[in-house]
Amino acid sequence: MSQDPSTYNGGSAVAMVGKDCVAIACDLRLGQQSLGVSNDFEKIFHYGHVFLALTGLATDVISVHENFRMKTNLYKMAEQREIEPESFANLISSSLYERRFGPWFVGPIVAGLNTKSGNPFICGFDYIGCIDFAKDFIVAGTASEQLFGMCESLYEPNLEPDDLFETISQALLSAVDRDALSGWGGVVYVITKDKVVKRYLKTRQD
Amino acid sequence: MCSTQKSLMATEYSTEVRMEPIEHRFNPYQDNGGTILGIAGEDFAVLAGDTRQTVGYSIDSRYEPKVHDVGDNLLLSANGFSADGVELVKVFESQLKWYHFDNNKKMLVHSAARLIQHMLYKKRMFPYYVSTILAGLDEEGKGAVYSFDPVGSYEREQCRAGGAAASLIMPFLDNQVNFKHQMDPESKGTKRRPLKYLSLDEVIELVRDAFSSATERHIEVGDGLQILIVTKDGVRKEYYPLKRD
Amino acid sequence: MPGLSFENFQRNEYLVNQAGFKPPRATSTGTTIVGCRFKDGVVIAADTRATTGPIVADKNCEKLHRISPKIWCAGAGTAADTEMVTQLIQSNLELHSMSLNREPRVVSAMQMLKQHLFKYQGQVGAYLIVAGVDPTGPHLFSIQAHGSTDIGYYMSLGSGSLAAIAVLERDWKQDLSKDEAMKLCATAIQAGIFNDLGSGSNVDMCVMEMGKDAQLYRSFMTPNVREKKQRNYKFARGTTAVLRQSVFDIVEVVKEEEIPVGSSDAMDVDH
Repeated sequence: MSQDPSTYNGGSAVAMVGKDCVAIACDLRLGQQSLGVSNDFEKIFHYGHVFLALTGLATDVISVHENFRMKTNLYKMAEQREIEPESFANLISSSLYERRFGPWFVGPIVAGLNTKSGNPFICGFDYIGCIDFAKDFIVAGTASEQLFGMCESLYEPNLEPDDLFETISQALLSAVDRDALSGWGGVVYVITKDKVVKRYLKTRQD
Repeated sequence: MCSTQKSLMATEYSTEVRMEPIEHRFNPYQDNGGTILGIAGEDFAVLAGDTRQTVGYSIDSRYEPKVHDVGDNLLLSANGFSADGVELVKVFESQLKWYHFDNNKKMLVHSAARLIQHMLYKKRMFPYYVSTILAGLDEEGKGAVYSFDPVGSYEREQCRAGGAAASLIMPFLDNQVNFKHQMDPESKGTKRRPLKYLSLDEVIELVRDAFSSATERHIEVGDGLQILIVTKDGVRKEYYPLKRD
Repeated sequence: MPGLSFENFQRNEYLVNQAGFKPPRATSTGTTIVGCRFKDGVVIAADTRATTGPIVADKNCEKLHRISPKIWCAGAGTAADTEMVTQLIQSNLELHSMSLNREPRVVSAMQMLKQHLFKYQGQVGAYLIVAGVDPTGPHLFSIQAHGSTDIGYYMSLGSGSLAAIAVLERDWKQDLSKDEAMKLCATAIQAGIFNDLGSGSNVDMCVMEMGKDAQLYRSFMTPNVREKKQRNYKFARGTTAVLRQSVFDIVEVVKEEEIPVGSSDAMDVDH
C-alpha cells in the first residue's frame, strides 16, 4: 500500500477571477481511499472577507483551518481590521514553510476582494508554501489535472458574476466526475463587492 | 524493517558503503508522452493526436505522427510507449492484409475492434504499454470510436481521450460533446440539455481547443496537431501547429 | 517562534515509513536559469514555468529574486526553498549592511546562502545563480543545494542548463557589451524554453551595471502567447442546476461617526 497522504481522503477545489468578482468552489466528499465517508465535508472557510479552500489530508485541513482562525483573530485584535487577501496569502506561505521538514499535507487556495482597491485576488500554494499567483484560475486537490483541463478550455477573462458562476460550476462538476476521489456534492461561492452568494450544486452521488 | 533503515542511509554523495546490495533490472518500457483523442459524429469520425515524442524532459521529435490510416476506412492510434504503439499498428496492418486474402472483403470497424482485443490480450503477461483508440464508420455509416486498455478491454464510445493528457481532456469532452451537467436554461435545472450530433466543423474546433489547452498545462503535449477525418468518401488529414515550449 | 518547526516530523515519518505512505510532490521550478558577466556589469535571466510532475502549475512565475537593490538571484529546484531561502538572506543581508553601514556585497550574500544551505545538507533544495554589483565590482556566482559554490563569467542551472550552456559556450566572449550580454542570455533561456520540457513560457531578465540602479525586465520576451480559442465557451445563465442558495454580507457594516478635529467634543488628552 504505497499511498500519498494528500490523496487519502480525496477532494478538490478551484477559484476563478471575474470582472470585479471572484468565485471559489469545492466538492463535498470525504473518504478513506475508495470508501466514501461523508458528503457534507465543506473545504471552504472564510476569515472575514477572505476565503480559503483547503484540500488534502482531512485531519490537516481541520488543523490548518483552526490554526488560521486563531492567527486571523489575533491579527484582527492587533490591527483593528480584518486581514486582506494579499497579507493572508503571505501568512499562509510562511506558516506552511515553517513546517518545511514536517509539513501539513494540504493544498490551499485563497480568494477574495481587496477592500481598499476592490481588486480581485486569487492564489494557490503547494504543501510547503510556494505561492502561485495567477491572474485567471487556481486549482487544487485530487482532481487537479481534470480541473486544469476544464479551466484552461472554459475560462475567459472579465466574466460577470452570474457567468463566472456557470463557468466555475461546469468546470468543477465535469472535473470531479472524472475523479473517483472527488464529488458527492459541490459548493460555489461568488464574491462581489457588496454580497457573497453561496450555492449548493446538484451533482451525481456516485 | 528495511524501510525504516532506509531513512538512516547516507546520501549518494557520501563515501559510506550502502548496507544493502543494489538491485539492477532492465526496464523494457518507456513513456513517450503525447495524447490522442477520438470523437464520433453522425456520419464521420475523427482521430487526432499531437506529434511530439518525448523521453523524460527531452523532446525526441517534434513531428512523429502517431495516428495511422490503416486502410478499409479505419484510423488507429496506440499511445504510450511508442515502440509498442508502432508494433501494434504494424501487426494490425499485416493481419488486415491476411483478412483480405482469406475473406476477400473489407474489414468492418467492429471486427477490427475485436481483432485488436485479441492482439492485445495475446500479450496479457507482457503487454503492449499503450492506450489504443480505433475510429471508423459502422455498418449504418455512423461514426464509431472504440477505446482499449493495454490488455484489450474495449468499449464503443462517442468520444475518448488517451495518453498523457487524457485526464485533462476527457472531462472537457464529457461537458462539450455529451453535454454532461448542462441543463436546459429554461427548465430551472430540471431538464438536461438535449443531446445532438455535432457537425464536423464543430468537432474540429473542439479538438483544436482541447489540444491547445492540453499543450498549455501538460509539458509532454505540443509541437503539432494531426487530425485524421474519416467519412464515407475516405480519409482526410489536417495539420495545425501547436506551441513548441 | 524562530526557525523551522519539526512538530509534525515524527507523525509524517511514521506515515511515510510505517504506514506505507509516500510524500507528496512539491512545486519545482524545472527551470532554465543563466547568468553572464559583461564589461562593467552582470546580467541574469530565467524562464517562467513552474511544474508539479508533468503538469504546469504556474505559466508565468517569477524566478528572479531580489536580495538587495543591486544583488539579484535566479533560483532553480524546489520552488518554495528558492523563494524562502532568498527572502531569509535578503533580511539578514539588510541587517548586516545596516550594522556595518556599508552597501551589501555579493560575496556576503553568497557566503550566507552557502552556509545556510550546507547546514541543511542538501535538504533545502535551492540551486541558485547569485549576481550583482557592489563597491568591489560586478560578481557572478552559482550555489548548489549542498552548499558548494562556483565563480564564473557565464553559467547556467536547472533542467534546461544543458540547452542553455550550449548556447553560452558557442557565443560567449570576453568583454561583451551590455546589449550583447542581454541578447546572449535571452537566446540561452529560449534554448531551454523550447528544448527542455521543464522550462517554458517567457524570458525574465535582470541587468546590474556598475554605478546604475539594477533593472528588472519582467517578461523581457514573450515567445509563447496562446492563440485565440476556436470556440466560445460561455454558458447560458441557468445552465447549472442549483439545489439551494444563500446570500450574505461578509463585511460588517460599522456605522462610523465623524468627530471634527479640534472641536470641544474631541477627546481631551492633554489635561
